Amino acid sequence: AVPASAIVVEGNHRVDADTIRTYFQGTDEGKVNDAVRSLYATGLFSDVRVSRDGGRIVVHVAENGVINRVAFEGNKKVKSEQLETEVTSKTRGPYSQAFVAADVQRIQEIYRRSGNGNAKVTSRTVDLPNGRVDVVFTIDEGSKTGVKAIEFAGNHAYSSRKLRGIMTTTEMNLISFLKTTDVYDPEKISSDEDLIRRFYLKNGYADFRIVGTDVKFDADEGGYNVLIKIEEGAQYTVSSVRVDTQIPGVTSDSLLPFLKLSSGDTYDGDAVQKSVEALTREVARRGFAFAEVKPRGDRNNQAHTVSIAFTIDEGPRVYIERINVHGNTRTREYVIRREFDIGEGDPYNKVLIDKAERRLNSLGFFKKVKITNQPGSSPDRVIVDVDVEDQPTGSFGVSGGYSTSDGFIAELSVSESNFLGRGQFVKVAIQEGQNARGIDFSFTEPYILDTRIAAGFDLFAKQSDNTQYTDYRTFVTGGTLRLGVPITDEFSISPHYSIYNTRINIPDTTSYPYNDCQFPVNGVTPGVGVLGGTPPTLVDNCLTNGEASLAIKQAQGSTLTSLAGFTLDYNTLDNRKDPTSGLFIELRNDVAGLGGDSQFVRTSGDLRYYHGIFEDIVGIVHLQGGQITGFGSESQLRIADEFQLGPTLVRGFAPSGIGPRDISNLAAYKYNPLGGSTYFGASAEVQFAIPYLPRDLGLRGALFSDAGTLFGYQGKTNFTPGGGACVASLQAPTYTQGTCVQVRDSAAIRSSVGASILWASPLGPIRFDYAYALSKDKYDVTQAFRFSGGTSF
Amino acid sequence: CLGYDGEVTRGYVVDQRSLDQVKPGSSAEQVLVVLGTPSTTSTVGGTAWYYISQTVDRTFAFSAPAIVDQRVLAVYFSRDKKVERVANYGLQDGKVFDFISRTTPTGGAEQGFVRNLFRSLMRFT
Amino acid sequence: CSALDTINPFGAGEKYETKILAETPATDIYDQGLARLQKKDGAGAAKKFAELDKQYPFSDWSRKGLMMQTYANYQAGDYDTAITTGKHFYQLYPNAPDAPYALYLQAMSYYQQIPDVSRDQENAAKALDLFQQIVTKYPSSEYVDDSKYKIQVTRDQLAGKEMSTGRFYLNRRNYTAAINRFREVLAKYQTTRHTEEALERLTEAYLALGITGEAQTAAAVLGHNFPDSPWYKDAFAKLQADGLEPNEDPTSWISRTYHKVVG
Repeated sequence: AVPASAIVVEGNHRVDADTIRTYFQGTDEGKVNDAVRSLYATGLFSDVRVSRDGGRIVVHVAENGVINRVAFEGNKKVKSEQLETEVTSKTRGPYSQAFVAADVQRIQEIYRRSGNGNAKVTSRTVDLPNGRVDVVFTIDEGSKTGVKAIEFAGNHAYSSRKLRGIMTTTEMNLISFLKTTDVYDPEKISSDEDLIRRFYLKNGYADFRIVGTDVKFDADEGGYNVLIKIEEGAQYTVSSVRVDTQIPGVTSDSLLPFLKLSSGDTYDGDAVQKSVEALTREVARRGFAFAEVKPRGDRNNQAHTVSIAFTIDEGPRVYIERINVHGNTRTREYVIRREFDIGEGDPYNKVLIDKAERRLNSLGFFKKVKITNQPGSSPDRVIVDVDVEDQPTGSFGVSGGYSTSDGFIAELSVSESNFLGRGQFVKVAIQEGQNARGIDFSFTEPYILDTRIAAGFDLFAKQSDNTQYTDYRTFVTGGTLRLGVPITDEFSISPHYSIYNTRINIPDTTSYPYNDCQFPVNGVTPGVGVLGGTPPTLVDNCLTNGEASLAIKQAQGSTLTSLAGFTLDYNTLDNRKDPTSGLFIELRNDVAGLGGDSQFVRTSGDLRYYHGIFEDIVGIVHLQGGQITGFGSESQLRIADEFQLGPTLVRGFAPSGIGPRDISNLAAYKYNPLGGSTYFGASAEVQFAIPYLPRDLGLRGALFSDAGTLFGYQGKTNFTPGGGACVASLQAPTYTQGTCVQVRDSAAIRSSVGASILWASPLGPIRFDYAYALSKDKYDVTQAFRFSGGTSF
Repeated sequence: CLGYDGEVTRGYVVDQRSLDQVKPGSSAEQVLVVLGTPSTTSTVGGTAWYYISQTVDRTFAFSAPAIVDQRVLAVYFSRDKKVERVANYGLQDGKVFDFISRTTPTGGAEQGFVRNLFRSLMRFT
Repeated sequence: CSALDTINPFGAGEKYETKILAETPATDIYDQGLARLQKKDGAGAAKKFAELDKQYPFSDWSRKGLMMQTYANYQAGDYDTAITTGKHFYQLYPNAPDAPYALYLQAMSYYQQIPDVSRDQENAAKALDLFQQIVTKYPSSEYVDDSKYKIQVTRDQLAGKEMSTGRFYLNRRNYTAAINRFREVLAKYQTTRHTEEALERLTEAYLALGITGEAQTAAAVLGHNFPDSPWYKDAFAKLQADGLEPNEDPTSWISRTYHKVVG
């Protein structure tokens, strides 16, 4: 820098001469001008004049006054603190007329962006005795100026209402004060126009063009009228599809099956893109890693047809020099790098890079994944940069059920899907409720021995005392070992072995006298008691105060089940948490009998199909079914093995509310479900955004109808000792339980219709279901309302 | 049958036509034009360029890729940067053994288990 | 959310009234800051020193305030703020006497946040760059020795990262990628402890490829420079198993890079 003696500073009071000198990088004309300009830019000086006196430079400055305080008046919509950070005039900072004027514009812009186009901002200064000055900005916010009307011109194929539905910007209406999407913002309007262009291209309008958008501000209406002029052109159908390859050894027709559209279909922009991807992948697989696929459409304007040619030729021979991973503050690098099918030194292949990006996104560990290329150290080398941003992957789940008669059951779970950044999944769930108490721990390592096979184990202990649905308590403890073997991206097999012990006991206490016919309880069972109590009558006996079914009594004690099996999964859902399109099929088969007491073969299947009907309306079809048969010596099934189903089969029914039931004791039939051996269920649901509510509230609605049945009780019915004839129950004088079970086993279709509210609350996705049972068997148990919620942190 | 990816070439893509143009005596620049940048080299202008290519078979999505074929084209240069000789190494030349498991210790703060869990708990809102 | 504000009828927004803000002398603020530092209240001290900068902008006090603010934040472990105030100080007063200390505090702030090799080493790279600036720009400053040591540690960390990625590819038998990664360690981080392992890994990779010439050279250079290193024993054993001897083919690139640097 310049020696201090060469620059003389005059006129400065508060600002040090040295600080001013640091701005002078040199003494020549150019450097001095730079210095003057940057001194003005600091806003400290109202005037800076430079003159030369002999070899030295004399800098004469006149300092600006100092602001004592910056104040804002009349601002309701935007807080003062927020305005303070935006304006350049700062408390105790320099006062400069230019800065204040710029601040006025700045505040105006903030208000325009938040929807008050015609807010008026003025500024004034108040001189204070201590020579300082206050800057006051007065704001008249005025009424909200949003988008009054969105009109279209030239739209014949689709109505203006449909096109408006595609746009994120909406018109002002009754609840405008709640909405923010009706604020006029040019960038949002242009991004909406892209959405409309893509919509038209998807539906065959290859010539679609947006001619112009004129926006008129309507002062008295206090809003903007937006008119979007479009030219649809004709809807094109595909006349022919062809593949021309310049690559030796790759024939065109061998690639035809990979095309996603064929002649006769209406032209679809997205399908063309998908075909390009499929072709590139196939050609790369055949060893032509540098092939490039380019689609070309030549329109025939009279016949409104387009013939599409996919030309494949040798692209530049470029190799990947290095793959650099940045931003992974928590996830370990190998967890990211192993998702790439290609490595350093391999030919550059865009399709495999996109596939890796999709895989990284679906891991759910990252807020953002961005893969970019940079030129390498030589023309045929490229460096791939992978930028990721970690996000918290722990999740804290709360879910509960509410039934009209029994209040809440809650489950608390803590899970971490990127444990210690190693991509391992750990979950601890504790269940606490009136009728269930349990804990289970699960661990999964997705890459055992550096292969894509996932291995994991679960340990669980669950005591369910669902006395409001059944007359018995179960206590299951056990563990499972499981493997996950992906066969292709969508299809995987998971063999598993699990061993668990189920202990059934029937409470026989004063409050739960469910076994008092066999073991009378003093003071509760009629006819028993210190003074002999009141004798049992038809109306008041050991059955009327609730009694477990004989089948359940027979199943008391603990049974060890050791089973092995596998699950087949086919999953093309576009997003695991909140799927909008794709198919999920799961087939599960278990064989119990490798030791242990139970011996059965159980197969069950589950199919969910999601289909985006419209921009954000999702249709869901859910089919499920299952069958279990015992084998071996006593081939009857145990109570614990049979399917006990309720809301998971048909919403609107209580847990174990559907299926075979022991109705021999009509007073307590509700609590004696026996479970069935075969079930089927089907459900159709439509999820949609609730109209008129602003999108950022995160509320979605759903309508659904379920139907299903559970039947085929395979257990014993005659428990007469020695196998004799049944003895009827409620026989005078003891009015006690008979020796047979009267099973109500109807295969009637249970069905229900209902609605639910899905709320992506700050606490996480919460779902409220209300279902009304349309058709049910005489002895089914309904439960209309149910909610479950979870949060992620 | 379920050949998930089937056989995929990894590394340098060998092209027989251009291979034949590399004969002893051709210059380094010629080789660079014909074969492109080598997979790895000895120092630039050094004595040897290696073009390494592997054919990898992946029967299932889960199986680790197995090396089916491995070819190394070595181009040795004389002092005056002319091709001295060309050598080929096949899969059979490569020795198969497992690598030393020991690693040189490195520093840096290891993620404490509790701190890691606590940190993601803290960002609750 | 802001939408609810518009319907709140009472708040007509604040009214302006004149109010003169009190003015505490700079020395008092500075002493209060120092007192808090004594009490190990780094964050509180940083707030005090920040006030100094706000009340007396563009003065000598503001320079002292900014420096002490950086130091207080560093002590409080708030490394990100320490880096921002340190950078701000260095931009304003590049040739002030305590400028190297500002650089040093920034470098140490990055240095404290270096994670293990399996994660992004950006902090190590930034710390290395700042330590190098200290050594080149202020050779006589008291921080040079510590900076030189820290340079060695950060380079070792960066080399460790290259090695871990190299091993990743070696285990997957992608020899091209592995060899180029180990080359990078030899070329850029030759004075770190990882060179021994890099040479041994090169022997393994070249053996797996069948290019025995390069494998022998790598082992020879390893033996020549680190005769008693366990890595040399492994490399030697590997070659022995195939009836080969480590012999230095002087023309091979490994010996050339080595001789050029180590001489």
